Amino acid sequence: MRDLQAITATLTTMLGTPVTDAQGRLRGRVKDLAVGTGADAGKIAGLVLKTRKGSELVPATGLRPTPSGTLELREEAEMQTLRGGEDYIFLRQDLLDRQIIDVHGRKVVRVNDVDLQWFKQNGLEDLRVREVEVGLRGAVRRLLQGALPAAALDAMTKKIPARVIPWEFVDMIEVDPARRVKLKIEHERLAQLHPSDIADILEDLAPAEREAILTTLDEEVAAEALEEVEPKLQKSMVESLASEVAAGIVEEMDPSAAADLLAELPESRSEAILEEMNPEERQEVEELLVFREDSAAGRMTTEYVAVPKTAEVADAVRALRDFDGDIETITEIYLVDEKGVLHGVVPLARLVLAKPETRLDVLTEARFISCPADAHEQQVAELFDKYNLRALPVLNEAGKLVGVVEADHVIAFLREGR
Amino acid sequence: MLKRWKIRILLFLAVLGPGFITANVDNDPNGIFTYSQAGAQYGYALLWTIIPITIALIVVQEMCARMGVVTGKGLSDLIREEFGLRVTVIVMFLLVLVNFGNVIGEFAGVASSLGLFHVSKYISVPIVSVLVWLLAVRGDYKNVEKIFLAASVFYIAYIIAGVLSQPSWHEAMVATVKLPPRSVWQDNNYLFLVMSVIGTTIAPWMQFYLQSSVVEKGVRVKDYAASRLDVIVGSIFTDVVAWFIIVACAATLWVHGLGSIQDASDAALAMKPLAGRYAFLLFAFGLFNASFFAASVLPLSTAYVVCEGLGVESGVDKRFKEAPFFYWLYTILIAGGAVVVLIPNFPLIKWAIESQALNGILLPLVIVLMLLLINRKDLMGTHTNSHWFNAIAWLTAIVVSILSVMLMVQQFRS
Repeated sequence: MRDLQAITATLTTMLGTPVTDAQGRLRGRVKDLAVGTGADAGKIAGLVLKTRKGSELVPATGLRPTPSGTLELREEAEMQTLRGGEDYIFLRQDLLDRQIIDVHGRKVVRVNDVDLQWFKQNGLEDLRVREVEVGLRGAVRRLLQGALPAAALDAMTKKIPARVIPWEFVDMIEVDPARRVKLKIEHERLAQLHPSDIADILEDLAPAEREAILTTLDEEVAAEALEEVEPKLQKSMVESLASEVAAGIVEEMDPSAAADLLAELPESRSEAILEEMNPEERQEVEELLVFREDSAAGRMTTEYVAVPKTAEVADAVRALRDFDGDIETITEIYLVDEKGVLHGVVPLARLVLAKPETRLDVLTEARFISCPADAHEQQVAELFDKYNLRALPVLNEAGKLVGVVEADHVIAFLREGR
Repeated sequence: MLKRWKIRILLFLAVLGPGFITANVDNDPNGIFTYSQAGAQYGYALLWTIIPITIALIVVQEMCARMGVVTGKGLSDLIREEFGLRVTVIVMFLLVLVNFGNVIGEFAGVASSLGLFHVSKYISVPIVSVLVWLLAVRGDYKNVEKIFLAASVFYIAYIIAGVLSQPSWHEAMVATVKLPPRSVWQDNNYLFLVMSVIGTTIAPWMQFYLQSSVVEKGVRVKDYAASRLDVIVGSIFTDVVAWFIIVACAATLWVHGLGSIQDASDAALAMKPLAGRYAFLLFAFGLFNASFFAASVLPLSTAYVVCEGLGVESGVDKRFKEAPFFYWLYTILIAGGAVVVLIPNFPLIKWAIESQALNGILLPLVIVLMLLLINRKDLMGTHTNSHWFNAIAWLTAIVVSILSVMLMVQQFRS
């Protein structure tokens, strides 16, 4: 018998393989491969055989690959009749020819074949999934399967460079919510990608698949990803979600992005979503909604860090710690008086270099640049360009700080207008 | 009152999109040649085909638009997912062949239409092919769609040319609703033209292109009524244009007994002394517009569809290195099509007939696959086909199959 390490198989070559008992009588043919979920996620639960009794599941350890390429059923093997509705992922039915997410390569790909491997455990042969083939090799093998002798086909496909995705980086998309819950598809690894990468992946999928992923992801992750999706698609994605699901995601979004999004939706729809939101976030977004979209106020965010003008560096650091928005977006700290009127701006870098007891008003820029709430976005862009700004405070008529436009907002609307 | 009309017209224009564009690209140089030939050889005797073809076209195109909206997936995606790799590869292979034949036709159209203005094909074809390549690679979809919509409007040129040719309106109208006498059915050439007219009006690439465009546009199920209207308006407009081309050629070439033409520009040339300079200009300009337009759409849509089906990276927003297969296929289709046209003495007409025959094999296959997909409840929910739609689509597939078999038998005999 050949060294087991070397015995690799693929899903396509495995399908249709005759299964005999020890006496050589045909018991059935391989129809599919079942993969476990939950605690057994990723492990092969067994081979689905098409037998006279219908579909039967037999664990891989109950079979022995023979040198002639067929499978032999062990005496002690237990067969379980499948009735449909079991918690298994079926490789042929659910994976082959379908789109999956390559979490490592951060893109959507289509499965051409699945590579399997026999290995020896406790003296029995067992089967595992190694990787998913998405390249030409898998495609050629499937096309010529049966048309060429197995050995010739094997030799030929070996020459084609393989494009594979290791099994642990494969993220399946299941559109049916009930089945998704049952199979415990949670997109944990997908959630760890950069929001922009998740957004790119979402853009590559069909609407039902997008919805499946958005509703499965944690609301915060979904919100960050949604912010990065292009506006038109963003709109249609939110419209396809139920109001309370949409509200949960919109709540977690940056208020300015949330306001931009809601402004694009039909009024009845945006109101329904606002209705479902937390009062606090709702108020923030509603305040932004009143402004024209192409004004400074329409483009600004209300998540910024402001401290009293008498504060010291240590106070500012505390304020930063307590800040519950997206901390990476903060580039400067604003000094305001009791009425909220802006008195100074301190860049983060100066804060880092100063002693904790230094008063912040010593650190402020001699002149700071700000703009009125009704300034046109074009003016805002010009200010950013002229003064090399990272962020621009937005003031109302009374000089009160109402929000901040950040550099990435400017880049976003400039690109949009192209 | 005026304002209300303005709003109505704007609403109507806002609806126009993928369906209208697809239907118009369909009137490519191959189509124009076929319609001109029909009019030149048989006068009004082929006009009866227009109404049934329009109905079949609407039914087939509507099915695609519906599948695109409901599933959010392109036709090649669906074929791949539901019928597996082998069927997909066969369909894609045939599609590339048929479409390549069409691309050659488009560039031949460019060559002959600009030839009417005394521009050598060795200048016009290379320039146009580079322009076409750049249009898709450098422009974005939104702008490209606007350009395409504008190009579609220029098809009105053919309607005006039809009016200028002073046809016998009464005779044309009667011939549209009345079957021709039985004697013509014995004429093999007549049968061949009927087949050509059907084949050129309902082409397989349209289904793939339309469904992908609808998906790209992100139309949702509740807005579907607008997309359906788009498809219907587009199909009717296209066939009205086809009707006028046949009529224009019938009223000039056929009436004066000039008979068959060798390529699409012949019709324009022959029209000059018969219907005047304007009719000539409109015909020539219409032909160029159609050629350029179709040459911009076909190679790109082919590359997209094939990559989608095979699961290879695609998209003009990707760089060459990221989507090499996509760009190579796209480039080869354009360059190959242009080069073939430039080969001296290339048997273009023979090519056109052969690609027509392939078309006749592929079309029924595509329609049957579509029918299998669209009647599945798990994919389409409540949006499966009605009995009438199924009947018309099956009938179309069967008629096209029979006609293409007849055509092939004829080819072998001669």
